[in-house]
Amino acid sequence: MSAFLAILRVTVRQTLRLKRAIGLGLLSLSAAFTYLLTALGSTASSNTAEFNQEQAFDIFLGMTVGTFMNIIVPVITLIIATSVLGDERRDNTMSFLVLRPISRFTIGTAKVAAGFLESFALTAVGALALGILAAMRMDTYEYVVPMLVGTAIATASYSAIFVPLGYLLKRATLIGLTYVFIWENGIGAAVPAVAGLSPWRIGVSAMAGMAPDQFLRELPEFAIGSITPGAGGAAAKALVLLLLSATAVGSILRRRDLAN
Amino acid sequence: MTTSPALVDNPTVEINAVSKWFGQKVAVSDVTCSFGPGLTGLLGPNGAGKTTLLRMLTGLIRPSQGEVLVKGQEPRTQVDSYKELGFVPEESALYNMLTGQEYVTYGARLSGVSDPERAAKAALEEVGLTADADRPVGGFSKGMRQRTKVAVALVHNPEILILDEPLNGTDPVQRAHLISLFQALTERGNTVIVSSHVLQEVERMTDRVIAIVDGKLAAAGDIAAIRRAMSDIPYRVVIECDKTRTLGAALLDHEGVFSVTVDERSLHIETSDLAGLGSIIAGLAVTHDVRLSRFAPEDESLESVFRYLVGGR
Repeated sequence: MSAFLAILRVTVRQTLRLKRAIGLGLLSLSAAFTYLLTALGSTASSNTAEFNQEQAFDIFLGMTVGTFMNIIVPVITLIIATSVLGDERRDNTMSFLVLRPISRFTIGTAKVAAGFLESFALTAVGALALGILAAMRMDTYEYVVPMLVGTAIATASYSAIFVPLGYLLKRATLIGLTYVFIWENGIGAAVPAVAGLSPWRIGVSAMAGMAPDQFLRELPEFAIGSITPGAGGAAAKALVLLLLSATAVGSILRRRDLAN
Repeated sequence: MTTSPALVDNPTVEINAVSKWFGQKVAVSDVTCSFGPGLTGLLGPNGAGKTTLLRMLTGLIRPSQGEVLVKGQEPRTQVDSYKELGFVPEESALYNMLTGQEYVTYGARLSGVSDPERAAKAALEEVGLTADADRPVGGFSKGMRQRTKVAVALVHNPEILILDEPLNGTDPVQRAHLISLFQALTERGNTVIVSSHVLQEVERMTDRVIAIVDGKLAAAGDIAAIRRAMSDIPYRVVIECDKTRTLGAALLDHEGVFSVTVDERSLHIETSDLAGLGSIIAGLAVTHDVRLSRFAPEDESLESVFRYLVGGR
């Protein structure tokens, strides 16, 4: 087994503990639960015949963009990705890792990959559940794959930001939440340039590029701002972010002192 | 041939005019020394700068000034040098969810060992942890955790082993086992550097000491030689006899005796003339009908050397 895979495997065991996995798994599924309850509520309060596919789509869109992509995905990724290096620092195991004849870039790549894969394992569960439930209500499965791809891209982009943050800052979770809710969702909703670098919007733009036209037509104004919808461009952005992140982690490990 | 006792011939580890400061605080100041095959004790009180020096040695932190070389390479930039370097940090540094075997195997794998599982088994056996190898290290006692860290530092068979307070938390049996392991390594030609603030530990392991006080190199070399070099400091001698007051009074008349402290069974003497005291003590005992049971210098212990070094600042 290569050093890369060894670091990846131990990082997953270090950060994805059972209680944390269950808690974050439930958080990931909460959008699907809410969708189910909302759809059932709407059906009960209206004439069944009137609860048409359009209403089902509206609820799906609201849940996907308004809850899952811009709250649940960043929060799950924030918790996992910041702990990928944060737990090493907390457990004083950084010295164990860096005093090995392996390049810092390999460590950085393995850590960023671990942050992404762990986070995506959790966010994919919610994306899949929401996509399938919505498909059952809307009688079309055309949103399931775009949902997964968009989630993967948003998760990868967030991981790229939060993995180095977890090493650089002791209060990375707090700073990360500020970034998500104040910078991305507050300022990003008003300033197009900020929106262009918002991970969840990059994910939604990938979804919009792959999903049926109705998705893009109905998308709220704040959702992707000036970003051009398309999965290819979004995936390229996410890949560049991941690469930059791995390089940054490698560089930080090479340059910064490990005081303890 | 080197002239300074802080330097050795054919060094494997070199510290050249190294200083480290954190903001306004100077942790290590202009230290030059070197280490070669054999065991060297890095000695100093808590906060003296030992850990900072060791962390610079391993490349975990950069010197603010000067350079550190491990086998001619700077470890921080030449990661290949870690093939020849094993480090036991003072802090925990363990993955609590891994078993002892998994943890040491992980270290072996990252160090490029060809058969990591087998190397890990051998290293765990060397530190006496074979029976507990399949238990999570999170449940280990402090002594077992220390030994696990030693195992992971040894697993890739490095030429240079750096240990920061490795005997902390170990019981006397474990301590004796680890000390004999370190000594065995030196017999194989390894360079072993052990830091400690517990003087007796270092004294049991080695004669060569680098003493750090307040971040500065306070003394280096053989413990007894360091003591002899401190000619301006009185020697301390302990005498055990049956009539301490009688002998104490007689000794006060002897030129060169600065002070005599008497208790029920022994006398503690401070003198500038150790040889002279040794030559008259038997005669004094006969004259005053005193039965001597012990006459020994107190100063050649590391404890006293250390006390002088710290007290002199």
